[in-house]
Amino acid sequence: MTLPPDMQKLTGNDSYFEDFEEGQVIRHARGKTIENLENVLFTNLTMNTAQGHFNEHAMAGTPFGQRLSYGGCNFSVVMGLASQDTCENAIAELGMDKIRLKNPVFHGDTVYAYSQVLEKKDAARDDAGEVRFKHWGVNQDDKVVFEGERRVLIKRKSHWLEG
Amino acid sequence: MIYLLRADLACGHIGLNKINNHMGEAMGVEPAEDFRSQAKLRARGHLFEDFTEGEVFHHHWGRTITETDNTLFSTLTLSFNPQYYNREYAKAHGHKDTVVNPLFVFNVVLGLSVEDLSEIGGPFLGVFDLTYHQPVYPGDTITARSTTLEKRVSNSNPNNGIVTWHTEGFNQNGERVIDYKRTNLCRKRNSEKLVP
Repeated sequence: MTLPPDMQKLTGNDSYFEDFEEGQVIRHARGKTIENLENVLFTNLTMNTAQGHFNEHAMAGTPFGQRLSYGGCNFSVVMGLASQDTCENAIAELGMDKIRLKNPVFHGDTVYAYSQVLEKKDAARDDAGEVRFKHWGVNQDDKVVFEGERRVLIKRKSHWLEG
Repeated sequence: MIYLLRADLACGHIGLNKINNHMGEAMGVEPAEDFRSQAKLRARGHLFEDFTEGEVFHHHWGRTITETDNTLFSTLTLSFNPQYYNREYAKAHGHKDTVVNPLFVFNVVLGLSVEDLSEIGGPFLGVFDLTYHQPVYPGDTITARSTTLEKRVSNSNPNNGIVTWHTEGFNQNGERVIDYKRTNLCRKRNSEKLVP
């Protein structure tokens, strides 16, 4: 399958399967500050009923003293920050593994993303290959808040940029 | 004109009060003088002792995923793959519509499972062996189910347990779209609360 030429221009041409090298580590350009807009919205939008993520008053009486950002929100933002460089030209997300939440994230904390290419391999279809990444999320104090692996099916330039 | 309006409003209030009093008498309901002291907490969530290995939870509610959900989540997380918010691009890749961001599917399935599994026990420690089995499209309805795989007492803090579940998400046709394993810290009854 190839895309119409105009559509090929919608994504970068340096994030195809051929462009990744095993061992390569990427520091992604943007960070994001986690606030109500991310934590409370995603928690409530997905009907996660754990009020530690949306009841500031109840959390004031705990050792945390304030709402904790929901872990799924934290690593969704980190994986999002990593997405343009790692899966802008992905055909599909295949899975995740070894997701660990290592430190809490509070409203006002900023997360940054890093990725490493752990493995590249052929896929069942010949127009794409599978890449396994490790991602890290780091806060403004250089503490790792998240680490985890993600498997992605990524287009091969040789097949998708022809025509 | 103004007087007329006031008169109408006044009549309306009197009428409502009469109806309320009448209903109260008919149903035998006395208003609670101190509703707080009479109220009993309708607690939600489960603790360590409530879990049994092998038990299956059919989680509540389900969720139809909309295009708005997908666009909002994908843009706010900066998930820059056009298949999540450019329909023509998604169709050019063989999809019938935009593809729902798989991370959103994961968060919906986890969200639906929280009251049964992890609302009051403690923080979520990790997710393992997650597979996306097929794409989800706007308009698809997701339901979730979990099985308790393992429970054990924490080595580092015997007040806490650690519980692992296998969670699966299904679409409206009963096809499995995602499954994963999740491990949480899980407080024992009568131990100190970690979260409210």
